[in-house]
Amino acid sequence: MRPPRLTATALLVLVWLGAALAVLQGFFSAKLPLRFDASLVAHLTGMAAGYGAAIMLILMSRSPWLERGVGTHRLARWHSWGGPLVIILSVVHAIAAVPAWAEVTSIDLIAAAKDVLDLPGLTTALVGTVILVLVGLASLPALRRRIAYERWHVLHLLAYLAVALGFAHQLAGPDLAGRRWLQIAWSLLYTYAFALVLRWRVFQPLFQLWRHRLRVEEVRQESPDVCSVLMSGHHLDELRAEPGQFFRWRFLTRQTWRSAYPFSLSAPATRDRLRITVKARGAGTRQIFEIPVGTLVFAEGPYGALTPRRRRRPRVLLIAGGVGITPMRALFEVIDLPGKDVTLVYRASSEQDLVFKHEIDEIAERSGARVVYLVGPSSDAANDMSAHALNRIVGDLSDHDVYLCASPRLAARVRESLLHRGFPRHQLHEERFSF
Amino acid sequence: MSDATLELGRRIPRIARFSVAVSPSLIRWTLRTVTAILFAAATAFGVSLGMSAPESPPTSVDNHHVAASNQ
Repeated sequence: MRPPRLTATALLVLVWLGAALAVLQGFFSAKLPLRFDASLVAHLTGMAAGYGAAIMLILMSRSPWLERGVGTHRLARWHSWGGPLVIILSVVHAIAAVPAWAEVTSIDLIAAAKDVLDLPGLTTALVGTVILVLVGLASLPALRRRIAYERWHVLHLLAYLAVALGFAHQLAGPDLAGRRWLQIAWSLLYTYAFALVLRWRVFQPLFQLWRHRLRVEEVRQESPDVCSVLMSGHHLDELRAEPGQFFRWRFLTRQTWRSAYPFSLSAPATRDRLRITVKARGAGTRQIFEIPVGTLVFAEGPYGALTPRRRRRPRVLLIAGGVGITPMRALFEVIDLPGKDVTLVYRASSEQDLVFKHEIDEIAERSGARVVYLVGPSSDAANDMSAHALNRIVGDLSDHDVYLCASPRLAARVRESLLHRGFPRHQLHEERFSF
Repeated sequence: MSDATLELGRRIPRIARFSVAVSPSLIRWTLRTVTAILFAAATAFGVSLGMSAPESPPTSVDNHHVAASNQ
């Protein structure tokens, strides 16, 4: 039984409705007559931050309803602006609470800060806020680039602890305390959010490890910087992994078990085999090249909505840049249209960087699909990937579904060019990854 | 990860060999049951947390305000 489809619009409506109710409760709890002061700011930001933190947990719970219906990259995008917003609201709430307390108790700010910290649940909430701020700082692009993905990932997981630490204060706070039904509803919001995380981020991968017994069968070097990892297991058809989807892979060796890397399947899944293809981007991903055969693999997934099911138009254009070829290679093999109207545009900086060329040519020959390799410097006019150039390659671009996977810079360039030219957003399907 | 843990990991297939033999439909029903139990537990825990939460707000600046203005 497939889970019911939840669309992005339906989810957004639900989330904003909940946010409006939470903020309204902040207004109801504020003292009358309403005036814009520190107390009102503390009430509103406190409710919004508490609600937002639970929503962030739900969005990142990897629930199949969300992953298949909304799409991983959209969820990640919402999280990337929602997360900082929750942190800012938490900090503003903490700052506003002190002058608000000072005002009603007629004491100075330092005494008020001490008073506030002495209240039950406030110390843990403050620790939680400090952790959230650290997580937020580590995710700022300038700092993020300097921190290894593995360290950043571990630090990011502390956000769960931070959210849990703030919970007691929320239940005891002035907006909820004494309102029994609201306290129950708020508690349920949090217990359900953590249950979703437990179900899909902890239990599901453990179950999959037990059931499928996924192991590394072969590590094959595709180019100096790219390798494919072939894994074998049992009942892999039960995963219902579709071409274009990805998993978060944790290779259980002493060096690599701490990190979960998102990599797409580079070939359609079979009943007993999965294949991914990895580009070395740092010390962590380089270690994958040395994974011993027989290593157990802890896999979370499949995730992502970059699948053949998204197709609506009669023709398909697949655009791959560099290692972005991995999901496109899998899609290229399975998208089978009447008239074979599938084109793969594959951009690489050199011939050496073209992975799977042999496989792709073979699929193209077998299926009658078309491949266009754009190799060399991007300054070369022949490698233009603007909407105009793509239109020239495929004919009528508006009649296509476009699947895109490339480096963030190239993907942004192609996306902007397509949308600028009036290409419908709903016909553009992409998955964005960055370490 | 300790050597013992890694060794245990290597032995998982031998320890849990029956994982492969279980039929897909039994697996599906087991997963549904586990999910239902998990959310039933989350419901019970959430209601219990809400029921036992403080009735008066110790952090309420407004209560303090009201109390102060009543004096």
